[in-house]
Amino acid sequence: MNTDHEFFLMQLADSFFPSGMFGLSNGLESLVKHDRIKNKQDVLNFIEQQIEFQLVPCDCMVFLIAMEAAKNENIEELVEADNRFYSMRLIREVRNTSVRTGSQILNCIIQMTFDKKKNNIAKNFQKKITSNETVGTYPVCLGIAANLLDIPAKSGVRMMLYSFSQSVIAAAIRLGIIEHISGQIILTTLADKINSISESIKKESLNSLWQLTPVTDIFQMIHEHDDSKMFIT
Amino acid sequence: MLKNKKIPKLGIGGPVGSGKTRLIERVVPILIKRGYRCCIISNDVISKEDAERMQRTLSTELKVMPENMIIGIATGGCPHTAIREDPTINLAVIDEIEKKDPSLDLIIIESGGDNVMTTFSPALADYFIYIIDVAGGDKYPRKGGLGIESSDLLVINKIDLAAHVGADLAVMERDAKKIRAEKSYVFVNCQTGEGIELVAENIIKSILFDKKPIVKKDRIR
Repeated sequence: MNTDHEFFLMQLADSFFPSGMFGLSNGLESLVKHDRIKNKQDVLNFIEQQIEFQLVPCDCMVFLIAMEAAKNENIEELVEADNRFYSMRLIREVRNTSVRTGSQILNCIIQMTFDKKKNNIAKNFQKKITSNETVGTYPVCLGIAANLLDIPAKSGVRMMLYSFSQSVIAAAIRLGIIEHISGQIILTTLADKINSISESIKKESLNSLWQLTPVTDIFQMIHEHDDSKMFIT
Repeated sequence: MLKNKKIPKLGIGGPVGSGKTRLIERVVPILIKRGYRCCIISNDVISKEDAERMQRTLSTELKVMPENMIIGIATGGCPHTAIREDPTINLAVIDEIEKKDPSLDLIIIESGGDNVMTTFSPALADYFIYIIDVAGGDKYPRKGGLGIESSDLLVINKIDLAAHVGADLAVMERDAKKIRAEKSYVFVNCQTGEGIELVAENIIKSILFDKKPIVKKDRIR
């Protein structure tokens, strides 16, 4: 049994993997600053809502589409998914951060893998970024990386949801609204939901993408204009 | 990795209040006067205050470089992580700069960080200056740490304050020499400009390799 992908899954999900995630609060900082999120339960609710109304219908779907497009070496579909996702990012700093982290993940993955055939699609996509034909958003580049490392789609979705949750929890700890044990308890509480989503999620078309997190969006817009902030988003 | 390195990158680190921003404000006009074109990335954990200050001093007041060549990044989380373990955001901004203006001579990356933990990722900086100040006490060089020991150039700032804080510059020099072996150090006063030429010389020799800048008409402001 080939278990290489399990190792690579851990590698990509590790906070040590250079993805820039440590600097993101995904809107939490602004919500905390304005007293909308105050405690452990609020953090849990926030993560669950973002997963349900943002990550599953949009980010994860784009990730799955990108994975399959990379597998089929369909560069046009990768570019289309990338541009579609970019155009759906309403907040500038979120949009810019997605592109900055995505392109750097792609660069990292190209340098750390040696399967020339699979590497080819990653390199071609990188050329499209260089020539300004596309931008290189996070879920698309992560989808290309997951394909390159033979990570199964369901595991990839699990990794994405875990990384997002972990990133928000780390931000909550740094912002001082929860302590480290509460952070682990939140993660454990999320396990069932994340595992269930990962098992049941099915790739849909680009036209089916949607997202609905207006309160978070508004507070992220406020965050953009803050003079003093600890996190990039 | 080397093939990706286009514009030389200089990392400047140091504790809050040590004079990183002031050092840049002093060194950059010297480099520009000699024809080198620079871009500055200012990492600030919680704000873009330093970048905005340099935009005021270097662009608005001194008019030595365009405002869009001074970029502020609020790195979030931990400054040490942003320049070492996970320099993703800084590297992404550098890519954007290199794409926008590949003819630049130097990219300066400023970041706060204590003497114990600060180092720059080799992917982010080709040359590393660590700055401390005399007001921290004359024990500072002796206490060592990654910043003081591993930097290519140690800058000891605010020498005019030595007498006021009971710091002995001779002790600082002795310890800097001992702890850094053959590596350079320089005493400066960023307020008056004393010693700054030496810092600029080090940068030109060590990272720009005395390369003569290409002087084009549009480079002269």
